[in-house]
Amino acid sequence: MDKNNTPLSPHLQIYKWQISSLLSITHRIVGVINTLAITIICFWSLSLLFGVEGYQIINNFLKSFFGKFIAVGLCWTFSFHILNELRHLFWDLGYGFDLKVSKITGVSVLVGSFLLTILFYLIGKNFI
Amino acid sequence: MAQFNLPQNSKIEVGKYYKDETNSKNLKKVNVYRWDPSSGKNPRVDTFEVDMDTCGPKVLDILFKIKNEIDPSLTFRRSCAHGVCGSCAMNIDGVNTLACIKSHTDINGDLNVYPLPHLKVVKDLIGDLSTLYKQYESIKPWLQTEQTGKEKEELRQSQKDREKLDGYYECILCACCSTSCPSYWWNGDKYLGPAVLLQAYRWINDSRDGDKKERLKKVADELKLYRCHTIMNCTNSCPKGLNPAKAIGSIKKMLATS
Repeated sequence: MDKNNTPLSPHLQIYKWQISSLLSITHRIVGVINTLAITIICFWSLSLLFGVEGYQIINNFLKSFFGKFIAVGLCWTFSFHILNELRHLFWDLGYGFDLKVSKITGVSVLVGSFLLTILFYLIGKNFI
Repeated sequence: MAQFNLPQNSKIEVGKYYKDETNSKNLKKVNVYRWDPSSGKNPRVDTFEVDMDTCGPKVLDILFKIKNEIDPSLTFRRSCAHGVCGSCAMNIDGVNTLACIKSHTDINGDLNVYPLPHLKVVKDLIGDLSTLYKQYESIKPWLQTEQTGKEKEELRQSQKDREKLDGYYECILCACCSTSCPSYWWNGDKYLGPAVLLQAYRWINDSRDGDKKERLKKVADELKLYRCHTIMNCTNSCPKGLNPAKAIGSIKKMLATS
């Protein structure tokens, strides 16, 4: 038997997504987005030092529809990351590993992240 | 860097279609991963039409029916057929489980059967688990004591201490959990994986063992242990209902507090 020709059995291609694995990969992707976002927000505040014009460019962008979409999106990524990180903290303390409990906390994180986003939006719009 | 795509020689092709010859009205299409080492070809997925009226309730019954009545060259491991030995672990309907205890009536539509994910295929549904067995050996899965063997009394364990092993000693090492773990897929050569770490915890947690500190020290490694990111595919797939994620969490907690 030619050892080198031995195929690798399929993995990602066939494995069914679980709520837990889906949240885990989302947590990771969202973490990367947040890191980039924080960097950009830092540059945005830095642009204050260089006068109105530089600041105004980004401000106008954020007021456009696309900009607003990104701002709301970032509210969600931060909400999700914080809530899911709480879940990780409880795991580190040794709680919440039970299959049922982890499913409930997982779904709550997802629902909670959207609720928090709506809350941020309403606060931003001065409704609350 | 993890390779997400299958290598060229592992790409799956469309295989043969075995049409039903019994004129049964109660048919199920069963797609089975096939690879013959002597053919020199890529793996393929064969489709079998199986008569459900004369078939037993479990997925293993289907595989036997195919082997006995349709294609005798179908190759898979099995032994006890009662979920005790762990031989018939495979990927059924997208999740790793034991073919002998998985009911096909739970699965709607076509049935997909693949070998355990991300392993070198030996033939058809048989994956090569030798790396996992080596890793298992590396955690010394036996009692370490300072006894010389000349003592007159056996090593005793209180009922309470014995209960600490519940949920861990039941593991049959079928490898469903380890091969369901994406971390183990990408770092299987270094990361020990859920099955072996659950076993490691079983020995760390044994009141009779005299090597707890050494065991903890050995497993405390960025790659061996901390590649676990609590994805929990392991616990989701365990056919014995055990919780490898919790075992790994417990090891991490022990290390953080010791």
